[in-house]
Amino acid sequence: MAQAEFMGKTFTIDEDGFIESYEEGKCEEWIQYVKQQEGIDELNDEHRKVINMLQDYYEKNGIAPMVRVLSKVTKFKLKHIYELFPSGPGKGACKMAGLPKPTGCV
Amino acid sequence: MAFISSGYNPDKPMENRITDIGPRKYDEFYPAVIAKNKGKWLYHEILEPGVLVHVSETGDEVYTVRVGGCRLMSVTHIREICEIADKHCDGHIRFTTRNNIEFMVDSKDKLQPLKDDLSSRKFPGGSLKFPIGGTGAGITNIIHTQGWIHCHTPATDASGTVKATMDVLFSDFQDMRLPAHLRVSMACCLNMCGAVHCSDIAILGYHRKPPMLDHEYLDKMCEIPLAIAACPTAAVKPAKIELADGTKVNSVSVNKERCMFCGNCYTMCPSMPLADDVGDGIVLMVGGKVSNRISNPKFSKVVVAFIPNEQPRWPTMTATIKRIVEAYAKDANKYERLGEWAERIGWERFFEKCELEFTHHLIDDFRDPAYYTWRQTSNFKF
Repeated sequence: MAQAEFMGKTFTIDEDGFIESYEEGKCEEWIQYVKQQEGIDELNDEHRKVINMLQDYYEKNGIAPMVRVLSKVTKFKLKHIYELFPSGPGKGACKMAGLPKPTGCV
Repeated sequence: MAFISSGYNPDKPMENRITDIGPRKYDEFYPAVIAKNKGKWLYHEILEPGVLVHVSETGDEVYTVRVGGCRLMSVTHIREICEIADKHCDGHIRFTTRNNIEFMVDSKDKLQPLKDDLSSRKFPGGSLKFPIGGTGAGITNIIHTQGWIHCHTPATDASGTVKATMDVLFSDFQDMRLPAHLRVSMACCLNMCGAVHCSDIAILGYHRKPPMLDHEYLDKMCEIPLAIAACPTAAVKPAKIELADGTKVNSVSVNKERCMFCGNCYTMCPSMPLADDVGDGIVLMVGGKVSNRISNPKFSKVVVAFIPNEQPRWPTMTATIKRIVEAYAKDANKYERLGEWAERIGWERFFEKCELEFTHHLIDDFRDPAYYTWRQTSNFKF
């Protein structure tokens, strides 16, 4: 586990840049740090909406939502989610929301 | 090594980005004789093990030399394949669905120099770089997986077991003495990537110990409901655990009596590793097929419940496979696949002829369908 420093905060991250603990990552500094890593220029309300939805869902259910659930709740098509997060909902949005790294045969 | 840019600009990752162009179209790489005669082939013959001829209605002929490939190969090796293709086949080659390599030439006089060239090439260790074979009623390449080379859930190695097995079965790669095709496949865990569930003989990596739980990290690393839902026998359930330092964390508990060591929970949750040096080993399955010829496709069935990992050569495993192949070669009728043979003579005879021990592990006990695998008849042989 490596350490990353950003805006005076220290995060414990793995080799793919996902944060070790959700509680630690639930802060504005983490979002700004990932934004820089993921090459996103400007965070707008739509980015925030996706991140908030992911965090709410994770807190409530203990898992990340399926892509179709994310689309249905936020009303963003998958294409639009990729426009917001070029790395996609897993590697981009979930990382920024502080969720654990997606697992399985990915 | 110093960084050399390909022209990609990390500050503007979406600029000049090319996507969704798909693979190159297959017909760009056709040899001339294939492009010309596509859809016009009349018949084909196997001239000798590893060498085929296809004859077109225009009278054109294409000769194919099939050689074994190790599947996991270096760029140097691929360059050597290209060099041979440049020298004999106008720069064209193809790979088969079992990862053999096929060199094609359009006249018979080009065939012998190609074969001589291929047979003459060896690695410094002495193994053949391009052994000719793999056609007809013999044993062709082994479909296999990643093993200890690259995967994180394996119970055995892929490349190692395959090399050991292929060395033992090599004469059948260069021969066509068997009653029918005999397909051997290998998967290093029961995800069964590849073809183990439908091969004549299948080598499968298997665990025998339940996962270890890393409670400190489990809730941080894993989506706990996914780990619970990953279990086919419902052995995993959520639990609150008190760590040594007194903090309470969310985690899971595993009912060891229900766990059958499939490793699915580790796939979903990195904090539940289960690989073990003496626990892990190999299961052998036989009797699967995918073709529709004569009988319907079949799943392969478990016949050896456990063989320990004996790297680097897996002698017990290769000896068992050899014994099954020899019993099949001696006893089966022409055109009869291994599964058809075993079903015709009855599985009790199969175990007898292959000198395999029948243990209680082989009796299906997974859910309702297990019932259909038991014998509900008095038809059996003593």
